[in-house]
Amino acid sequence: MARFIVRRVIAAVPVLLGLSVLLFIFVRLLPGGPASAILGQHATPQRIADVNEALGLTRPLYVQYFEYIGRLLHGDFGSSYVDGTKVVDVFLLRFPSTIELTMGALFFAIGLGIPLGRIAARHSNGLIDGIVTVISLFGISIPVFVLGYTLAFFFGVQLHWLPTFGLADPTLGVPAVTNFPIIDGALASLQGGTTAPFVDAIAHVILPSIALGSIPLAVVTRITRAAVIEVSNEDYVRTARAKGLTEKRVDNRHIMRNAWLPVTTVIGLEAGALLAGAVLTETVFNINGVGSWVVDSIRNHDYVVVQSLVLIFAVIFMVVNLIVDIGYAFLNPRIRYS
Amino acid sequence: MKRFASLLAVAALVASACSSSSASPSAGTAGGGSMVVALDGPAVYADPALVSDGNSLYVEAQVVQGLVGLKPGTISDVIPVLASALPTVSSDGLTYTFKLRTGVKFHDGTDFNADAVVYNYKRWQNFPAGDVQTAAYYYGAVFGGFGDKSNVADVSAPDQQTFVIKLKAPQSNFLLASTLAVFGIESPTALKAGDADNATLANNKYAQGQLGQGKDMVGTGPFMFKEWVAKDHYTVVKNPNYWDSANAAKLDQVIFKPFKDSTSKLQALQAGGADLAFSISPLDVKTAKDSGLTIIDRGASCNQLNLAMNQSVGGTPTIYADKNVRLAISEAVNKSSYVAAFYSGLGKVPTGFMPPATLGFKAETLPSYSVDQAKADLAKANLTADQKTIDLYYPSNVVRPYMPDPKGIAQAIASDLQAIGFTVNFKTEDWGTGYVDDATAGKFPLYLFGWTCDWAGADNFLYAAWFGYQNGQPNPQFGWKNDQANTLMLKALAEPSEDAANADWGQVQDLLAQDLPVVPIVNSTPPGAYTSKVHGFVGASNGIEYFNTVTLSK
Repeated sequence: MARFIVRRVIAAVPVLLGLSVLLFIFVRLLPGGPASAILGQHATPQRIADVNEALGLTRPLYVQYFEYIGRLLHGDFGSSYVDGTKVVDVFLLRFPSTIELTMGALFFAIGLGIPLGRIAARHSNGLIDGIVTVISLFGISIPVFVLGYTLAFFFGVQLHWLPTFGLADPTLGVPAVTNFPIIDGALASLQGGTTAPFVDAIAHVILPSIALGSIPLAVVTRITRAAVIEVSNEDYVRTARAKGLTEKRVDNRHIMRNAWLPVTTVIGLEAGALLAGAVLTETVFNINGVGSWVVDSIRNHDYVVVQSLVLIFAVIFMVVNLIVDIGYAFLNPRIRYS
Repeated sequence: MKRFASLLAVAALVASACSSSSASPSAGTAGGGSMVVALDGPAVYADPALVSDGNSLYVEAQVVQGLVGLKPGTISDVIPVLASALPTVSSDGLTYTFKLRTGVKFHDGTDFNADAVVYNYKRWQNFPAGDVQTAAYYYGAVFGGFGDKSNVADVSAPDQQTFVIKLKAPQSNFLLASTLAVFGIESPTALKAGDADNATLANNKYAQGQLGQGKDMVGTGPFMFKEWVAKDHYTVVKNPNYWDSANAAKLDQVIFKPFKDSTSKLQALQAGGADLAFSISPLDVKTAKDSGLTIIDRGASCNQLNLAMNQSVGGTPTIYADKNVRLAISEAVNKSSYVAAFYSGLGKVPTGFMPPATLGFKAETLPSYSVDQAKADLAKANLTADQKTIDLYYPSNVVRPYMPDPKGIAQAIASDLQAIGFTVNFKTEDWGTGYVDDATAGKFPLYLFGWTCDWAGADNFLYAAWFGYQNGQPNPQFGWKNDQANTLMLKALAEPSEDAANADWGQVQDLLAQDLPVVPIVNSTPPGAYTSKVHGFVGASNGIEYFNTVTLSK
């Protein structure tokens, strides 16, 4: 297993290096530059030229690239052209929000999707299966921003049940210890002897989690259904039943244990995509995560931020996939990596 | 299934618990409480001297004060703030003497005095080249540059209550421009302790707002800095020792929260999570009113949208070099219909080349809407059929205060131009990634472009934003060559006061009305909104608004 992990890590190096070159070129191919974002309505050709000079963007591209890579190898991910914030500082501030949102979405998708998939498989081609299929189609068909605004409208504006923006109520003044709003809320609750900060943090994550988790919910439901149906028809399941095992035992030990493999793959892929791609949900619910940050940075031509963030996303994606692969081995002892 | 039902029950419990706890987060009382203000985007730096964006200045104006400011709710009524009276000016217009208030302390407890003012002015003038000077745009724009290039000859403190600034040349906009929040006086002690002059802004913790209360953004205002969480929120708290007790803050704290999305912002107001939004989309004004929100009364406009007709693109004269074409277009556009359609009652048809409340404004007789007259004037230009096929540029992916729906406005204008015989092709570019760059570089022949005032002076609109020559040549944005107008503008800039410059600016506006390089489309007041809990808020269209007068009801 250790050799497998080392091999995967070594294989990632040329991928990341190639990606860094592509990113460096890609962001500079976009029309415009960071000067416009910095100067706003005060931009004039002369001022734009002055800013580009001050930012070092008039130097040869290869000089800029090697300088960037040199800094990167020393652990310096650079800082924003627009507001001078260091990429690492802002990442550590914002990534916990994205993780929390992703976990909430996965909790919603897995918590609801697997039971629904199992129920649908058990009643395949029946009424319940049809209902689950319709729910899945809704999840996939409704754009995230439409669902987000609709949820916020009903549960926030109309019913006043849940907050419509952010992951914590800033007026509560919860100290940012870990930058994970729920954990910070829990800590504040423990210290303050009141449940309000923790309940507030939970309340804030509900609507965005549902919006973000709607597509993964549909995918997990469909994959679970298909996997369970497929495994249920295997000979060893029939044999298990013939041996007189209880249906619960057959279900847990023989069907789900094997059905987990494709489901785990999908969850891993969805998790990676959610971590980097919660842009719309973050925008609709005004969440200060990394997804909206990378989009803003692209719009502002904040080259260094875009380059560093996408590289970080790539590493995250690779790590998540590695974890999924390792997870296979634990779920299915027949799989061994060498 | 039982477990699923239990899960739903737990979720319902949380939801019901939240309905009483967090859905009404700012349940303050009159004379206290926390207010959440939705900004249009993130603030940039916590040091007002280093910013030129409206979001940063909106926050920082609550904390840091200048020698002079604007009367709340106005865009050009200059009042003394940290000065005890408006300055006396020498007869040559070069020396301004400010008498300062006594008994004023910075938020770190140190004394505000003339030495502190001198320290700040010298700091600004000596900002190092590079990122810092780029960030400190306004100082360079107002005084013509930094260091030796600055128009400031000397600053001095003859005594602790007197501050004297000597200029190299008279500058008519000096007093009005000095009201900008970037000229707020900060505690020299805090600036030094916080290494605020660190030229590497990424390592400048003062600029990044990372030093904490009493160490960052240390001014003299009714609110004090508390917290700066980059791109997430910025908190200011009541200053219990404010020097002007009659105008002390009533709220305990104000939290400024950036919003990227206008629908999300509106929903935050409707749900009660936010108390006030600096802006909402003009298209949402009716919805906001219907849901019980109050639209901010911002009084006189401080912006203008123009349809620019560039007379020379890439050195080649365009059809707009012919005055008959410019006149025909000016007569063809039905401005009042655009104002009615796109501005929700918050816009007015311009009566001149800048907003009427701007200092130096002169009303002009502009061509009125007449399709027949426009056709007649266009005929005089003898354009070929090819020349009557024109490109109209508008920006995409942007909403500006004066341009809530760029595409819609462009379509409306195109429809009017087609009525007099033009065939209009639409062209668009992303505002941030090309439109501003290309428009200012003079690449567009016919396009939408506007300006929101930095300060409400004629120089800011007519010279700095639009028609001042660049490097001795007409601004490529308009290709409007009028040496007389440029000479008059330079003369006006060098007058000893705004009043003295008014006659020059008046003549410039007469020349503009003669030549019509642009069609003024609208002066708007950007809509903002607040909930019924908010009382005592005074709006202003230049974005300088204060929260010390605000109270929240239960």
